[in-house]
Amino acid sequence: MIDLENISFDHCIKCTVCTIYCPVARVTHHFPGPKQCGPDTERLRIKNPELLDDSLRYCTNCKRCEIACPSNVKIADIIQSSKWKYFKKKFRIRDYFLSHTDLIGNTAVKYSGIMNFFTALSPVKFFLDQVLLIPSKRIFPKYARGTFRKWFKKFARKKQSAFGTHVVYFHGCFVNYNEHGLGKDLVSVMNAMNIGVTIPRERCCGVPLIANGYIEKARKNARFNINALRKTIEDPGTRIVTTSSSCAFALKYEYANLLEMDNSSIFNNLNYITRYIYDQFQAGNVPPMKPVTIRAAYHSPCHLERMGGVIYTIDVLRRVPGLDLQILHSECCGIAGTYGFKKEYYDVSQKVGSALFKRIEKARPDFVITDCETCKWQIEMSTPYKVLHPVSILARAFEK
Amino acid sequence: MNYDCLIIGGGISGLTCGIRCQSAGLSTAILSAGMSALHFSSGSIDLIGYDRARRIVHSPFEYLKEFTGAMPDHPYAHCGVDTVREALVFLRDTLKAEELEIYDNGERNHFHVTGMGTLKPTYFSQRSVFNDSIRQAFERRAKIAVLNFEGYRDFYPELAISNLLKNELFKNVEIVTGRLVFPDYGDPEKNPFEYRSIDIARIFDTIQYLDEIAEQIKREAGDAEFVAMPAFIGINNYKKHHQILQMLTGKLIYEIPTLPPSILGMRLDDALKSRFADLGGVLIAGDKVMGGDFLDGVLDHVHTQNYGTTRLRARAFVLSTGSFFSGGLVSDSGGMREPVLNLRMSATSPRNTWYSPQFLDRKGHPFFEFGVETTGKLNPFDAEGKVIENMFCTGAILAHYNPIGEGSGGGVAVSTGYYAANQIIKACGK
Repeated sequence: MIDLENISFDHCIKCTVCTIYCPVARVTHHFPGPKQCGPDTERLRIKNPELLDDSLRYCTNCKRCEIACPSNVKIADIIQSSKWKYFKKKFRIRDYFLSHTDLIGNTAVKYSGIMNFFTALSPVKFFLDQVLLIPSKRIFPKYARGTFRKWFKKFARKKQSAFGTHVVYFHGCFVNYNEHGLGKDLVSVMNAMNIGVTIPRERCCGVPLIANGYIEKARKNARFNINALRKTIEDPGTRIVTTSSSCAFALKYEYANLLEMDNSSIFNNLNYITRYIYDQFQAGNVPPMKPVTIRAAYHSPCHLERMGGVIYTIDVLRRVPGLDLQILHSECCGIAGTYGFKKEYYDVSQKVGSALFKRIEKARPDFVITDCETCKWQIEMSTPYKVLHPVSILARAFEK
Repeated sequence: MNYDCLIIGGGISGLTCGIRCQSAGLSTAILSAGMSALHFSSGSIDLIGYDRARRIVHSPFEYLKEFTGAMPDHPYAHCGVDTVREALVFLRDTLKAEELEIYDNGERNHFHVTGMGTLKPTYFSQRSVFNDSIRQAFERRAKIAVLNFEGYRDFYPELAISNLLKNELFKNVEIVTGRLVFPDYGDPEKNPFEYRSIDIARIFDTIQYLDEIAEQIKREAGDAEFVAMPAFIGINNYKKHHQILQMLTGKLIYEIPTLPPSILGMRLDDALKSRFADLGGVLIAGDKVMGGDFLDGVLDHVHTQNYGTTRLRARAFVLSTGSFFSGGLVSDSGGMREPVLNLRMSATSPRNTWYSPQFLDRKGHPFFEFGVETTGKLNPFDAEGKVIENMFCTGAILAHYNPIGEGSGGGVAVSTGYYAANQIIKACGK
């Protein structure tokens, strides 16, 4: 029986507009493009799963095809769900390692010094490249010492009760295991706006699990997160924020559309951080800012584009005095989460990003600003520029 | 979010309006749900190609004077012929600023060839479709080679040629065919019969293949002076590579618009969007307007799928969401309506008279002429029949014109977009 709700491919009129705007089809002919991999062949796969084509694996799930589609076909969702519906499950230690961010992160932060030292060694890199098929050219994000949660409990939690309003902060894996600085900036920005921060119980949002086919695990995490977050918003005015655009995208859209989970209880309360700050600014909650005199180029991540969140980030950044902001032409950076960490896709990933890297180098900024951590890794590895988060810019502006 | 002007619809009408407003110093945003009809278009801009008896119009501006007098509800009549002329000049200058040059035939229409080998009268074309050398070569009945790219499924030279030869204008013209083969596209296992116009355009956009392609063109075209092929001579490097190919082959290279995706149309789309962004306009892509609310008789804000409760406010709103195909108008068994604000539609007849029995009727279908009713200033009416003064409708959503039957789609889109922008600029005191 064909699932009657899953026939959005029938709205496809075969105009091929999605393929024009697909960053992967642009750089490799191994990927025949979203139209063919999505709506065209989905009808065949439904009849006979053996008609599955290996080229589907090239899709990065950036969702640019869905933005371009004039007929509202959920092209990337079709491809993504076909990947895990029809490909044979094969255990791969690399994919397990890349996707189980909680498990790996919790271990790594205990031995972060050793981890960071070893993953940068060339014999280790050679081993990763040859045996695990993680390209030696890829630079790993550094692990922090301890988790953000521990820091929060020890140094920040007590002070939060002094504030009348609170926001629930879904910090995500990157802040917890790699970049405490961003989490600390979020706390200081919220506090400067006279808002306290609480952190919910949380697990990895599931983005890397979905990308690597660990669907049951992703559903389990989703169930856990929905339940935990729902409890934090019993007071209906409470808002949940993330500092990762992809976490927000997963919690709001991938849960419902791909994992087919009911997240309606948290949907309206949850947003990527700049939307929340924008609303606060609109309501008049704008603390005094001091000038942040830097020249910055802003890169908009694909998933934030899909959610329509880019204008909030730009609006918030434009209010920072002294910030000379150039908006880069919207383009995919190529890393697509764990995609760029796989040897077989490394070259495609870098080729996709090359147009963006050229634009950044032409802009000659002091810093690049972006909302997504994996975009940050990709840009820092592929250009000479350091990448900052919009919240870190605000933290500088609010500094006393 | 708060703008001077918010345009709903990112097609040629919305973009023309947006560029005009933004360049006059208004803060302007364009919302678009999916890519526009430019991706399905010929890439030429038609002004008016056929008169009311469906005969070909040769001098469109002269004809428009009499036409607008006889058709007071037509969008061209609302704009006025002078504004139509200004709008076209504005479009040409805008594209030129993005290095896309547009050619016309003095004040007269010229023809472009379709993929079926028929001729269509049009007003503006890109360099590879009309210019003086092309006109002269045609007038001396130069020999033509129609070339196709092997593996390209959306064009059949034999069909196009047999139709062309039926045309009086091609009497005694010698036409031959030939094919180009892509020298090297990496993986030989790739099935070569999967090419779409976009794949081939990317090959032509890459400089390394041009010498080899030029050699093949010379060989296949023989002594033909004129080489016609489906439109895929690149997107980003089109201008440069078209010139290089003409230089290397010593032939005139002509492009025939293809089935979607239309490379000719994409060049216009790219140039207009790039212009809008360079001027500082905000393009919000992939979002859909769900509705709006009125305050003191004017439209106060709209809300969208992605922005949920955030209100998008503006002093003036433009609705250029197109016709039925793009969802600007919707129909069901009961009738037709405008889905965003339920604006008043032109009088519509019973459903069984909406369309003519022939799908490709030269006159077009009656439903083409249905649309949103406006005042002479392009202000629509709300469901109660009250004029919405801070809102304008432009392009294919408008009633009382027949883009297919008249050959007027592009001209109406550009003129009404421009005319609405003029009024918004004036109202905002700029």
